[in-house]
Amino acid sequence: MSPVSFLRLRDVTLDFPIYQGSSRSLKKALLASSTRGNLGRDAAERVNVRALSEVSFEIGNGDRLALIGANGAGKTTLLKVLAGVYEPTQGRFFCSGRVSSLLDTSVGLNPDATGWENIILRGMYMGIHPGEMRALAGGIAEFTELGDYLDMPVRTYSAGMMIRLAFSISTCVPPDILIMDEWLSAGDAQFLGKAQRRIEEFVRRSSILVLASHSLELVEQWCNRGLLLHHGRVVTIGPVKEVVAAYRQLMDIATPPDLTAIATAV
Amino acid sequence: MAGLTDLSSVSVPRTGSVVEFPELPTRLGCAASDIVEGLGRYWLWTRLAHQDMRLRYRGSILGPFWQTITTAIMIGSMGFIYARLFHVELENYLPMLSVGLILWQFTSGMINEGCGTFEAVQGVIQQVKLPFSLHAYRLVYRNLLVLAHNFVIVPVVLLIFPHPIDWLRLLVLIPALVLIVINGIAVSTLLGMICARFRDVPPIVGSIVQVLFFVTPIFWLASSLGPHGRWLVLNPLYCAIDVMRSPLLGQPTSPHSWTILIAVTVLTSVASFLFFARFRSRIAFWV
Repeated sequence: MSPVSFLRLRDVTLDFPIYQGSSRSLKKALLASSTRGNLGRDAAERVNVRALSEVSFEIGNGDRLALIGANGAGKTTLLKVLAGVYEPTQGRFFCSGRVSSLLDTSVGLNPDATGWENIILRGMYMGIHPGEMRALAGGIAEFTELGDYLDMPVRTYSAGMMIRLAFSISTCVPPDILIMDEWLSAGDAQFLGKAQRRIEEFVRRSSILVLASHSLELVEQWCNRGLLLHHGRVVTIGPVKEVVAAYRQLMDIATPPDLTAIATAV
Repeated sequence: MAGLTDLSSVSVPRTGSVVEFPELPTRLGCAASDIVEGLGRYWLWTRLAHQDMRLRYRGSILGPFWQTITTAIMIGSMGFIYARLFHVELENYLPMLSVGLILWQFTSGMINEGCGTFEAVQGVIQQVKLPFSLHAYRLVYRNLLVLAHNFVIVPVVLLIFPHPIDWLRLLVLIPALVLIVINGIAVSTLLGMICARFRDVPPIVGSIVQVLFFVTPIFWLASSLGPHGRWLVLNPLYCAIDVMRSPLLGQPTSPHSWTILIAVTVLTSVASFLFFARFRSRIAFWV
């Protein structure tokens, strides 16, 4: 583990190009480019949605940050920026430490392969060599408590079983930075307790946790810091209790999102 | 502004209050390290390619050899009919057709599948950070596996219809295959990006490849064009097939096949690399 791990964002802005209909067509793009001067608009009629706007913060060793916000506030997009999936359109993002992201339970899982095979496979997607992964498989299997189910194809698994498998694999090697989307809260109470103990152990070893969730209970239990997003902007960031209170207040007075403010036709 | 003022409340600044960022690598640098990192993860893309093969023939007893049987039946039926139609000897025609068709399936397979290099794995691209080049390696390696399964037919056909083979000359198959593989990686990356962005391109590519099948001497003899045959080398797919087919059949390679193949490889590699460097970070939004 690197001695200092941190996530650092300065003025991160992410514009999401929405491709649909004619903007997906090469023919339209070519035809339009020859008459662009007359039309005076984007050749592809591309619409950009500003998913994140000037997001700045820094978290370091031992921080457990909760991303809070309404649907469409930009939580998952921010998680994907932190996980390195999306590159910011503007601004800077810098992270130090080994990142493990649990954005989706099914990624890297082959539904027709058994639980055991998928442990190796998903580990490979995480960048762990299959030989190394085989050595870790026993511990992972134990943590899932799935027993003989691991010999069955994962397409027969329930959502809860998938969560057990995915969480166990993603946390098999203590990451410096763990990034999780809200699906975890769908697990049963017993497993959630177990997962929380494992994460607490990481955080004691000065790892970072970033969790997006709608479950304010879970968030207050797991995290010490909160970040409230609204329409892609940071409303407030600070101790989790204060941020949760701010979110409750915001939701009470929230008006329907002003679409013209977030979507700008280029 | 809100974000900046709130900064102070959140974290313990370890290195003073100035937020530090390292020097950003250039786009070309990012693309190059993507290509190298992808190669380093060979254990992932080889495994995924094997898995693709298994899934494709799931439930069939023969497994991937189903592919071999399909190709063998196609070669057999086409061979007998077209040898009659063109009034050529079966012992000359069938080996030419077998080798040509198998190599055609390899090269055209990479082009056709190249349209989905990134789109086919969009679930992975949007969830995990991986080198993008890895998806192209997987695709090309999968097509190499198909080639290996089909290639079983070649020695059988050559045993039945012996040809004078210069064993030493077979060594040129190695550089030939290397060039075609480099081309495959370049083309599948380039097409993969274009097709992820413009969804009307894959059908166009499909149509072009289909036309190319008929204008490439695979089921007809290049010699039957007479003096006009020299224009065939303008078709890069012909050059790719020619440099591998002629040594296997003990025939002379067309004079410009190697030159054109090398030129095309350089061209596609440079174009693909520049395009990749420019648009690599957009792929996650396109798929």
